[in-house]
Amino acid sequence: MPELTVNELSTKEPITWCPGCTNFAILTATKQAIAELVNEKAVERKNIVQVTGIGCHAKIFDYLNINGFYSLHGRAIPIGVGLRIANPKLKPIVFAGDGDALAEGVSHYIYACRHNTDMTMVIHDNQVFALTTGQATPTTERGFKGKTTPQGNYENPINPLTLALSSGATFVARTYALDIQKTKEILKEAVKHEGASVVEVMQPCLTFHDTRDFIKQHLYWVEGNNKQSFEEAYKIAAEWDYSLDPKSKIAMGIFYQVKKPTFAEKLGIK
Amino acid sequence: MKSILIGGQAGQGVEKASEIVTEALRRIGYYSFNYRDYQSLIRGGHNFNVISFSKEKVFSNEWEYDVILALNDETAEKHKSHLKSGGIVILYKDYPQADEAIKELNLPPISKNSFFVGVLAKTIGMKKEVILSVVKESLGEKQLEIASRGYDAAETVFSIDNGKELNAFIISGSQTLGKAAIDAGLERFIGYPMTPATPVFHYIAAHQNEKLKAVQMENEIAVVHGVIAASYAGKMAMAATSSGGLALMGEACSLAGISETPLVINLAQRTGPATGLPTYTAQADLKMALNIGHGEFPRIVVAPGLPDEIYELTQEAFYLAYKYRTLAIILTDKHVAESQFTIEEFVKPKRKPEKFIIKADKNYAHYKITEDGLSPRAIPGEDDNVVVKATSYEHDEYSNTTEDPEMTVKMNDKRMRKMKTLEKEVMQLEPVKMYGNGSKVIVGWGSTKGAILDALRELDGYSYLQIRYLSPFPSKVVKEVLEKADEIVDVENNVTGQLADIIAEKTGIIVKKKVLKYDARPFSAKEIVEGVKHA
Repeated sequence: MPELTVNELSTKEPITWCPGCTNFAILTATKQAIAELVNEKAVERKNIVQVTGIGCHAKIFDYLNINGFYSLHGRAIPIGVGLRIANPKLKPIVFAGDGDALAEGVSHYIYACRHNTDMTMVIHDNQVFALTTGQATPTTERGFKGKTTPQGNYENPINPLTLALSSGATFVARTYALDIQKTKEILKEAVKHEGASVVEVMQPCLTFHDTRDFIKQHLYWVEGNNKQSFEEAYKIAAEWDYSLDPKSKIAMGIFYQVKKPTFAEKLGIK
Repeated sequence: MKSILIGGQAGQGVEKASEIVTEALRRIGYYSFNYRDYQSLIRGGHNFNVISFSKEKVFSNEWEYDVILALNDETAEKHKSHLKSGGIVILYKDYPQADEAIKELNLPPISKNSFFVGVLAKTIGMKKEVILSVVKESLGEKQLEIASRGYDAAETVFSIDNGKELNAFIISGSQTLGKAAIDAGLERFIGYPMTPATPVFHYIAAHQNEKLKAVQMENEIAVVHGVIAASYAGKMAMAATSSGGLALMGEACSLAGISETPLVINLAQRTGPATGLPTYTAQADLKMALNIGHGEFPRIVVAPGLPDEIYELTQEAFYLAYKYRTLAIILTDKHVAESQFTIEEFVKPKRKPEKFIIKADKNYAHYKITEDGLSPRAIPGEDDNVVVKATSYEHDEYSNTTEDPEMTVKMNDKRMRKMKTLEKEVMQLEPVKMYGNGSKVIVGWGSTKGAILDALRELDGYSYLQIRYLSPFPSKVVKEVLEKADEIVDVENNVTGQLADIIAEKTGIIVKKKVLKYDARPFSAKEIVEGVKHA
């Protein structure tokens, strides 16, 4: 079988993200990750199903030449769960936004983690509702002035990764969209992991929430951490409160990776 | 016809006692209808069943009783004014032997119902060995002695005919629906508990095997997306829910419509609005079923009235949903779902369900534009060269998102051409049924069928038009029947007469006479006879 190229994973559809959007980097990393996973025979191309919510992130559906379900806002995750209930050979890669997964669809996020559903949930976290032109999401910092909160966002952010950990996810990672190499490696590990994998991709929105300089300045890549330790993972995940505090330390990398029975295994679905 | 009311607190085994009695009646040649009235609580309260039985087929219950078996005081108090003349009340406290037997035989308090099943059997004149054999089968050997003591303690008041066993079986609408879905080839049931749809979930969960799995998810929204995903992935799947649950599934119904993914939902209606009366019946969601989901897309709505046709129409709903790749709602309600019927056989569907999955090549178009509107469907996971993309956005034939006005029109037209094709096919099935020859017509849908059929025997000059397919609506045949009618009476278990509105919309015929009941209880035949005469 000839090698699968990144080109074959591309489509001819015109890309409608803003020029320079960090989603381009996620698209590139995703294509590379899928091509390598298929070529390394870690997964068969026919079994990969991308599932998207609604929002800027979801446009990836048109740009990835792979099976897919473009679902509703907040509902990418239950579509992914349904795929696993139907056919455990399928490998869902769920792309969801921060508003999508953590506001509209937060119950599904918690339950997919709780069930340890064997799929990858890629959370495109730009800390803003972008396609609706700039409103606060659950991960937006306090004080953010959006069109629905001209007085400033009045709540502290939800931490998607401590939430994933407390809910039962067995693979938890954070990456930075503009580090394509690192993002690709983490995505590959997430897809290979058998269980609920959460990968939060920090992807600043150039139009409504441009934190590129802030994130670049404050991020660091974890090394030598004990990925089997829930406590350690939780500590690393909780380190940043999603504020723009100049003392912030934003950990990146794989925080947690343990093997537990998956949803399909628990249901006896083969 | 004779009727027995068995009542007591929740947890006293009222339901079980009624099941034993109906089965015993079947064994001596009686058809029965077993109505279940229960409150939204687990212990205490006042629950009762009404068994109406006859040598002729019976599809509904009376609200007047020959025997009231009262396992508590409240049952006697509440219902004794509905005793027929010559009727009797069997009151628990007139039989202190029941408590003595419990003590002596060291049985749990619920075994009292075995004692009173014995009392009841003797009272109506049923042979002892008949009732004991059913007690043994359904409750076990341990209950035989107490049931026998109950029998011996009572006097015979009525003399029913201990005739030949009926070649029939007793089943509820929910059990039938579960069986029909399994026989259709169901592979995944995904649910969230909601009365009165839960018994379908229970039935299917109890029948799981390697191929059939039942899964509970976190809410109705998750459930419906799970079903859509399972169906996209190539499994035959369904959900069952009640009124508020379907409301939550609304957006996803629309998703099934545009993504052209088969979606089968059983809507077991209950009394609304909102939480309403959770354990009681209504036919108030016809318009919701016909309209749920934003935007315009084809849909199938079937409304079986009795279990035999629940079997038939459930399977046809699967067939049509998978062939036409769209939403199919099987509309039932608490009344038909939870009542038990004695039936001889299921009606076979006129089409055999299948999944209509094709083997595709690399040029596969998930939304191929065709003359009849039907696009052949492939599933993911079969071939590395085939990409299967389903989408909630407007799209071109290859699932790419589009905002192009021409493509938008083309895709809308394609989807609605499916509706035309579907209409043609449904007309070849049996979208309506006619009963009786009278020139005056009673028109109805769903669970009122039982009481209407029973009423028809006493309504000279009337016939009954049952509309079984509400979408696509059989406008032509309904119009033909109603135009010829000397009088039209609409019978519905709701406040506004929703079917009458649909008939007006689809045929232009305004039905002015309506018999409507909305006290959360089903019609009896007598209520229909009175209602129709005075309409």
